[in-house]
Amino acid sequence: MPPVSEKIASLRHLLASRFPTLPRRAGRVLASGIPAIDAARGGLPLGGVTEIVAHSPSSGAQLVLSQLLSITRAQRQRVVLIDTTDCFDPASLPEDHLVHLLWVRCQNTTQAVQATDLLARDANLSLVCLDLRDAPAVDLRRIPGSQWYRLQRATEPADLALLVLTPHACVPSAEVRFLLPHSHTLTTMNEERPILAAGLHATLDRQRRAMANAS
Amino acid sequence: MFAVLHVADFALQAVLRTGLRLDNRPAALFDDTRNKSLVCAINSSACHAGVQLGMSAPQAVARCPGLLICTPRPAAEAEARATLHTVAFTLSPSIEATAPGVCTVDLRGANLPRLMNTATEAIAQLKQFGLTATAGIARTPLLALYAARSTQTLQWVRNEKEFLAPLPMAAADASPALLEILRNWGLVTFGDLTALPRDAIIRRFGAEGLALWNRASGGGPRPLIPVIPPQTFTAAMEFEHTMETLEPLLFILNRLLDRLAFDLINAHLVAAEIHLTLRLENEQALTFDFRLPEPTARNEILLRTLHTRLESIQTDSSIAALHLELTPVRPLVRQQGIFETGLRDPHGFAETLARLSALVGPENVGTPQLENLHRPDAVKLTAPLAVIPPPAVPTIHAPISPPLRRFRPPFPARLEFTGDQPSYLWSEPVSGEIKHHSKTFLSSGEWWQADRRWQRTEYDIELAQGGIYRLLLIEHAWFLEGEYD
Repeated sequence: MPPVSEKIASLRHLLASRFPTLPRRAGRVLASGIPAIDAARGGLPLGGVTEIVAHSPSSGAQLVLSQLLSITRAQRQRVVLIDTTDCFDPASLPEDHLVHLLWVRCQNTTQAVQATDLLARDANLSLVCLDLRDAPAVDLRRIPGSQWYRLQRATEPADLALLVLTPHACVPSAEVRFLLPHSHTLTTMNEERPILAAGLHATLDRQRRAMANAS
Repeated sequence: MFAVLHVADFALQAVLRTGLRLDNRPAALFDDTRNKSLVCAINSSACHAGVQLGMSAPQAVARCPGLLICTPRPAAEAEARATLHTVAFTLSPSIEATAPGVCTVDLRGANLPRLMNTATEAIAQLKQFGLTATAGIARTPLLALYAARSTQTLQWVRNEKEFLAPLPMAAADASPALLEILRNWGLVTFGDLTALPRDAIIRRFGAEGLALWNRASGGGPRPLIPVIPPQTFTAAMEFEHTMETLEPLLFILNRLLDRLAFDLINAHLVAAEIHLTLRLENEQALTFDFRLPEPTARNEILLRTLHTRLESIQTDSSIAALHLELTPVRPLVRQQGIFETGLRDPHGFAETLARLSALVGPENVGTPQLENLHRPDAVKLTAPLAVIPPPAVPTIHAPISPPLRRFRPPFPARLEFTGDQPSYLWSEPVSGEIKHHSKTFLSSGEWWQADRRWQRTEYDIELAQGGIYRLLLIEHAWFLEGEYD
C-alpha cells in the first residue's frame, strides 16, 4: 500500500491535470517603505500572508501601516484596513493618504476575520491589513488554524498582499513574519516619519519560500 | 414571409414557469370561470398519467394522485406574453400578438438564409425562459401558424399544397356543427375540402363556408397589428402562494430579470438602477433602490445585486407580490487609460461592500474623511471613490512623530505624582512607572455653543517598561487616549 504522502502527491497531480491553472508569478512584492522590511524580503509578498508581530508597545506597527498607505497612495492602489478594536486614527495621517483607504471598523475579532475572508476574495484590492494587536488573547486562540490557511488560499491567486498585525505570532499560514522588537522613545516625537521609518528595526522571523525559488 | 412562435397550453406554461422545480411534475390547468371546474390544459406528464381534458378535479386526481392543480393567473400570463414578445423582437421589429401564446412575425427584410438558425435560437431562448415553443415559417401568417402547431420544433412550409392536404379539418377552428356536417360528407382533411369548388361551398354554407375554405387553403398575406416595443423595463408578479423564504423569490426574480435584461439588450441599453418593491401579506410594502456601480445588462450581475441585499432582510410577513423596474441608460463606451486606476470589477466591489455593510453595519465601512473641525477625532466615513485620483503634491514638511492608535473611548486613568511631576500611571490597558513626559498641550473649541464646547490638556508620556502614550486631562479627570506606535 503506498504511503500517505505518495497518495497526496498523486491526488495533487490528478487535480493539477484536471483543473489546470496559470502558473502563479512568484516573487512579486509590494514595497513597504520600511528599509528593514524591504531589504529582507523586497516588501510584502503579493499572493501571500505577511505577519508583523508587535511584541512591545509603540514598536512601530502603525508606522509600517502609515508608510504602506503612503506607498500605495503614490501607486493609486486600493487598501483596506480591518480594524478589530477601532483604534485607527485618521487624523494622524495626511488627508491625501486616506483617499484610497477603505476602513472597516469591527466590533469583535470574529467579525474582523469574517470581513478579511470577504475582502481577500475581491479583485480590486492591493493590500488588506488586518489589525489584531489589541484583540483579546482568548479570541486569537479561538481562530482555528484552518481559517488562516483558508485566507492564504484566497490570497494566493490574487495580486493581493494580506498583512496581519498581531501581538504575538499566531498566523500559521504566514509566508513571511517580521518582528518589531523595540519600542519608540519620547525623543522620536519630534522626528519626521521618513526618518523614523528608516530607523525602524524589523527582524525576519520566518520565510517559508526562499526568494531564489520563488523567482 | 411570416413566422409564428407558438406556445402550446400557454396559460398552463405561464403558471408553471413561475414555480420552482415544476418542470417535470404532472400539472393541469382548471377553468375556474364555470360552476364546475374542469381541466382545460395539461402537460405531457399529466397526459402520460391518464389525465384528460374536460375531467373534473376529483377525476383527474384519481387518475394522477400527484397532480398539480393550477388556476389561470393573469399576472403570470402577462409576464409570459412579454417574454414571448421580447424573443419575437429578435426576429423582426414588426410582430403581432395574434392570440395567447401565438406571436406572428413579419419577416420582410429578414436574412432568409440565416432565418432557420435565428428561429432555432429564438426557440432555445424561450426554452431558457421557461416556455416550450414551436415555430413555423410560411408565405402567410395562417400557414405559419398551422406549421407551428403541427411540429415539435421548427417547420418551414415550402410546398403549400403538400403541407395543407393532410391537415385535419379541426385545425381550421371551424364551428362544431359545420365540422360535423363535413365529417358526415367524408371531408376530414384540408385537402378533401379544397378539392371541392369554392363557389359550391359558398352556395351551401355561406360566409362561414367561405371562411373555412379560405383557411383550409392557407389564407393570404395580411398586415399585422404591430406590438410596440417596451418603453419601460418593468415586471410584476403576484404569487398564488405567499413566499416565506429567499430561494423561490430569487427564482422568480431570475425569471423576470432574464426577460428584462434581454429587453435591454434588444434596445441597446443597460440598466443603471434597480427598483424593487415587495408587497407583503399584511399589505406593507418594502422598497429597495439599487444604484449599480457600473450600468449593465447582465442578468447574473443584476440578480447578484438583489441577492446580496435580500439575504440580509427579514420581513414581518410573507411576500405576496413584487414589482421590479430597471432604469435604462445608454451604455458607456470608453477606452480605459493605461494609467487609469478604476475598479477592475466594479460589481464585485459593490457586492463586497454590501456584504461588509451587512456584517459590520453600513456606518462602519467607508473611506475616512477628516472633518473641517478642530475637535479631536472628527472623522466621517464616505463611500469609496470609483477612481483613485492622482496623489496631491507632498507637503514641504513630512509628518512628525509616530502615528497614534486611539482608544475609543479613552480609558480612565489615575496618576501618582512625585512633587508636581507624574511618576506612575494606573489604567486598564497599561500601568507602570513614567520615565519621561512632555510639556502640556492645551486645546479648546466651540466655546460659543454651550452644549458642544470642549477643553482638554494633553500630555505625552513614556513608560519605563516601554511605550509612548497620550494622556488627557478633562475637567480634573485623567484619561489614556492612545498609544503612539
